[in-house]
Amino acid sequence: MALARLILVTGKGGTGKSAVAAALALCLARRRPTLLVDLDQRMWAARMLGLESSDNPRDNSDDAAAHDKGAAAIARPGAIANLETISLSAGTELEAFIERIVPIKAIARRMLQSRTFGYVSAALPGLEAFLMLERLRIVAGRAALEDRYVVVDAPATGSAIELLSVPGALKQIAPLGTLNRLAANVESFLADASRFAVLLTLTPQELALREALEASDVLRGRLSVSVAAAALNCVPPPLFSRREIDELDAPGADRRFACLAQWRAGAGRFAARTRREASRAGLRVVELPMLFSPAMGRAELEELSRALDARLFPPNSGKSGKSGKSGKPPTSAGSAGSANVAKSAGAARPAKSARSARSERPE
Amino acid sequence: MTTANPSHGLLAGRLLVCLGPGGVGKTTVSAALALGAALAGRQVDVMTVDPAPRLLDALGLGAVDAAEPRVVPLDGLADVAQVADLAGLFDLADAASAESSNVVELAAARARAGGVGGARRRPARRAGRLRALRLDPKRTFDAIVARHAPSPAAADAIMQNRIYRNLSQALAGVGDYMAMERLLELSEQPATDLVVLDTPPAREALDFLDAPRRLLDLLNSRAVTLLGGGMRRGFSVVDLAARAVLSAFDRLTGLHLLGDVQAFVRSFDGMYAGFAERAARVQQLLIAGDTAVVVVTTAEPERTAQAHEFLAALSTAGIEPRAVIVNRTLPATVSAAQVARAALAPALRRKLERAAEDFAALHQREAAAIVSLRAGLPAGLKLLAVPDLGHEPAELADLARLGRSLAIL
Repeated sequence: MALARLILVTGKGGTGKSAVAAALALCLARRRPTLLVDLDQRMWAARMLGLESSDNPRDNSDDAAAHDKGAAAIARPGAIANLETISLSAGTELEAFIERIVPIKAIARRMLQSRTFGYVSAALPGLEAFLMLERLRIVAGRAALEDRYVVVDAPATGSAIELLSVPGALKQIAPLGTLNRLAANVESFLADASRFAVLLTLTPQELALREALEASDVLRGRLSVSVAAAALNCVPPPLFSRREIDELDAPGADRRFACLAQWRAGAGRFAARTRREASRAGLRVVELPMLFSPAMGRAELEELSRALDARLFPPNSGKSGKSGKSGKPPTSAGSAGSANVAKSAGAARPAKSARSARSERPE
Repeated sequence: MTTANPSHGLLAGRLLVCLGPGGVGKTTVSAALALGAALAGRQVDVMTVDPAPRLLDALGLGAVDAAEPRVVPLDGLADVAQVADLAGLFDLADAASAESSNVVELAAARARAGGVGGARRRPARRAGRLRALRLDPKRTFDAIVARHAPSPAAADAIMQNRIYRNLSQALAGVGDYMAMERLLELSEQPATDLVVLDTPPAREALDFLDAPRRLLDLLNSRAVTLLGGGMRRGFSVVDLAARAVLSAFDRLTGLHLLGDVQAFVRSFDGMYAGFAERAARVQQLLIAGDTAVVVVTTAEPERTAQAHEFLAALSTAGIEPRAVIVNRTLPATVSAAQVARAALAPALRRKLERAAEDFAALHQREAAAIVSLRAGLPAGLKLLAVPDLGHEPAELADLARLGRSLAIL
């Protein structure tokens, strides 16, 4: 399966969205030059990778060369080969837009500082969001020319869907005219699976699963956006068999032992259920192991990126279309993670592959 | 509930506002705190924003129109157990499935026997009450428009406005403002001692606290004049530039979008005074001495960093938070060393040791996040923890347990 040029990573808060975005960027950068885009100024994904961004993009707005690109779109070479990070923000996109429209720079600058202008932009919240999407469209277009991947660390599901709904809303407000044409352009960019796709992150938890399923419905239905996959994050590697848990639960035994084993097995069971339900909804599930490490840093992200690589680019991916038997885990899965990926070749097969995946588990 | 419970300082006031980044379980914590206060004998209203379906069910708001407060039954909740460790979680699950009715009866008997004390300043035996409601920003806005509009025709004009229909929820933090409005209504009810407010997900603490000011600024703005009407005297070069941009924008769109915004803002003309007066009262309420603001977070580096940003923003705004609550902390369990000494088959013992080590690594990650959270906290700010139940709260007993288990970190 070919990946879209630009992949926007979103999910419920707390599902490891930024970590997955960072790991995906690492994974893709091993294949092609990749751009990691952050949609707020915190740049958490870049920070997790150790790419500290001490230089605020705004500080460069005096730079004449930067002027035409839009104030925020300044690529910052990182310490990782083939990986660059940038940060986009609604505010800077709006500034770039104003500076385009107002030819006299001094006036544009004073205007941006005026309270009056603040009120006006507050009255048109869709405009800022729209300019961000327009910027993503341009970034993706440029990446296509340079044959690069783009990974976007987006806000959590609700806000991301709001953002992606803006072009449709603008088209309704402006049924004719240039804005309508621009919005239609952005909409067709978002609906083009070769240029734009969403990666949903979730964890083996009820709420995260619900939110991912609902988001997938809205994205594919109302917004006609393609969902590349659901990254099921934090799946604990299976450890105990049912028999072993019973053994630990014997009368007279230390109850804390059985509880520990049950806790571990319970998370595994819910992961299996999550995988089943997501596959049933027609989502391609990409499983990522829970990393039991004291910190989440560069080494851990490398490990996640290897897991992603094995699942997104399985060695036999040349023969696509053949799936259902995930009998042999990809050999390059370096992690201790449960190595099965429920490959969803459409909605018909996943139930079977989920079953077979389960039967391999010790439990 | 005993006086040793660390939640007391939070629940004794008139208003408790829960702020925090998205995805940390603000709604759950708000509901658990509200329930705890009601069980301690107070008359509590909790306003939730966008709660999860199971939490809605737990609060009895699932299938019904929950824009009005609904009474939550408190029977049998007074004596739920604290969640102390991992084994405790499983004991609870067992008790719930095997003998739930007995547990409830036992709890009720204990409550009758006087095991439950009241909140400090209240008579010990006063029965508490909890009502829950769900914020519906659009409906609240409609109601306010209907109330303040000079005539039904004026209200109609607003509601028919294209901007109002399409963008009113996104407009200048209308959702946040509506939460404030509802809060004001609730806090003015004489039958309510304490209002617990869950807030909409926000990136910045001030998004919410600033909402009234931002909406008022917009309604009272000179931008209205600039947008479509004639220029006033005394305009500046900035105004000229703004006007140039705005007309460029209108040319670009080929529409009267800005005219619509102007009409929208203008239609609030006669209502400005009413809005301003209410907004001022909300601001008063937020800084009042008997208001407690808490920041909810989880023990993850990204969230603790955001919690610090929230705290800094609050301090800038002159609001002194009462506590930081770390939600979903891991329960305690056995250590690998303890497992190593156990009389178990070697293979099984090795697996169990591995599980204990894995769990310990997660504990270590959590501890590091809490250390970074604690660093730089203002002196005297309480750091509290709410444990992870291992599942989404699905019933009131879960919420009661969380409230009971609130502990000082």
